[in-house]
Amino acid sequence: MQARLFQLAVVFSLAVPGFLHADDTDSHAGPLGKVSFPSSCDPRVQPAFERAVAMLHSFWYSAGEQAFRDVLKADPQCAIATWGVASILMQNPLAGQGASPKGAEQAQAAIDEGRRIGAKTERERDYIEAVATYYKDFATRSEKDRQVSRATAYEALARKYPTDDEAQIFYALYLAGTQTQADQTYAAYLKAAAILEEEFKKYPDHPGVAHYLIHSYDAPPIASKGLVAARRYAGIAPDAPHALHMPSHIFTRVGAWQESVATNLRSREVAKAGNEPDEAFHASDYMVYADLQLARDGEARRAIDDAMKITGASPARFVAPYAMAAMPARYAMERGAWQEAANLQPLGSSFPFVESITYFARALGSARSGDLAAARKDAEKLEAYHNALLAAKNNYWATEVEVQQLSVAGWIALGEGKSEEALKFMRAAADLEDRSEKHIVTPGRIVPARELLGDMLLELKQPAAALKEYEASQQREPNRFRNYLGSARAAEMAGDRAKAAAYYQKLLALAKDADTARPELVSAKKFAAL
Amino acid sequence: MVAIAAAFVPIVVADPYEADPDLAVRDEDYAAGQRAVGKKDWAEAARLFQRAELRHPDEADLQNMLGYSYRNQKQYDLAFKHYKRAIELDPRHRGAHEYIGETYLLVGDLAGAETQLAALKEICLLPCAELKDLERAIAQYRGKPR
Repeated sequence: MQARLFQLAVVFSLAVPGFLHADDTDSHAGPLGKVSFPSSCDPRVQPAFERAVAMLHSFWYSAGEQAFRDVLKADPQCAIATWGVASILMQNPLAGQGASPKGAEQAQAAIDEGRRIGAKTERERDYIEAVATYYKDFATRSEKDRQVSRATAYEALARKYPTDDEAQIFYALYLAGTQTQADQTYAAYLKAAAILEEEFKKYPDHPGVAHYLIHSYDAPPIASKGLVAARRYAGIAPDAPHALHMPSHIFTRVGAWQESVATNLRSREVAKAGNEPDEAFHASDYMVYADLQLARDGEARRAIDDAMKITGASPARFVAPYAMAAMPARYAMERGAWQEAANLQPLGSSFPFVESITYFARALGSARSGDLAAARKDAEKLEAYHNALLAAKNNYWATEVEVQQLSVAGWIALGEGKSEEALKFMRAAADLEDRSEKHIVTPGRIVPARELLGDMLLELKQPAAALKEYEASQQREPNRFRNYLGSARAAEMAGDRAKAAAYYQKLLALAKDADTARPELVSAKKFAAL
Repeated sequence: MVAIAAAFVPIVVADPYEADPDLAVRDEDYAAGQRAVGKKDWAEAARLFQRAELRHPDEADLQNMLGYSYRNQKQYDLAFKHYKRAIELDPRHRGAHEYIGETYLLVGDLAGAETQLAALKEICLLPCAELKDLERAIAQYRGKPR
């Protein structure tokens, strides 16, 4: 008997280092926040199980899956650990991509194993069945269908166990996962946020609560509500790359660029150290976007160059390819370096909406550099990608590419001297873009279409109309360098010196730590000095 | 950049994000309905699409196909009902706008067709085949002796 106990202890010590608590630190990582998830598993694995749940709450996929598997290895009767494996294999429930086919197979195997083991409590069996609804008929259902059935199952779970806070929190997460970019009432987000706000009062150090609040407020009109959670989350789980990155979703929405750079820099480094290349690329894109708003072009360039050295990104997921295409496009376009934009090279990824980023930048760059023939050629590529997305019934990204097409058509028409037609296209692009929200993969559209409309009106010497569009764009995309610059110029051209001065001051404040002498800043300083 | 780009495979499939697997792949009745359309067996197509509709009540494409099947059986009321539902589900569904427009022409409602043409002009600021086809159909209708 003693020998068996000794053997068990050895297995535990190998599989679950130190039997740590969820809020402890271990050799793998530091604090991950406080999670309480009672289970019927061997009490010695409970701390490791809760730590694995904490990893799940911070979308720490590779480490989390291994942590759940380690728990199961240490206590083969711990059926709820199979729920954890299946849950983490769903990947980011808000990204819309879901589990990979291979991940789904592994998850189903875990669920089958959980059923075979037979959890000792009905609650644990219910958790396993709740996650099983997502994987049911996996190959023949759309991700949207799976998302809805998952949210429905967790709603039932939360109702059945009203005092189980984890059930409430996971329900809120999966409910937020049903939010579509087209619903600008943000119904799912706000319903999830209401649940999470109550939990936040009780558990201010819970990683999932803070994390999901950020996701639930990740839209322009409601973003400021997420600032408390955003500023708290990175401190709750400072060793989780996603936890360090997530606050920047809110920082980006409210234009808090310095905070975005700081937290993404940490996220990128932790992700690189933890061999999470997709997360590192994602953080880099958000960081580049923020640096460019601050006119820290040198920092942005270095961030791009550093990111491009990261290896091991998954070509089957769009996170890294998106960042790879977006960063150079942003770098050129945010600086108004149109010739540079025209010369960008496509990535050759398998995602039409990723490839379209480069062709959009090229076409717009060519059109604004006067090379209309090149712009038309790249516009044809955009059309092909748009058609491919329509054929794939990927309406969201098809519409995003259509916005790019309309914008390019507008600038080509302007180059041809057809100003009325140009404005018609550009206005249609802006209106279409406003009807849906940006995807969470991106800090923002490569350039807001309404800002481009402002640019066009400014070129057409319609400063009052331009200012109106710039100011409208600020409502959705606040505190942007190019917007303030356009607003200032429009106000100046319209003869509103006070407003022009105010915008130039905002521009100078934004760029107070600029590391590059953008010519626009020289003229802003001149105006401000008058 | 070039080295990293080389790691990615050129486009062979559409991205998986929000991309519903084609209904024909994930629903046998829908696939069989499409085969029936290929054989111009409109009644069978409508029957199969109706069965698929029980599982996928909110699929604009399916509603569009139901409209098409009924239109070819000259059951225009049902065709209109399903085309309208397709447009309700997806207001920018180019195909449904075109086909309901053509159905209006079949029942002699030129104004109805022109309303759909106007809608397509809003959607297709950039050239699209559906707009051209409906324009052509309206022009032919106007040219026909009454």
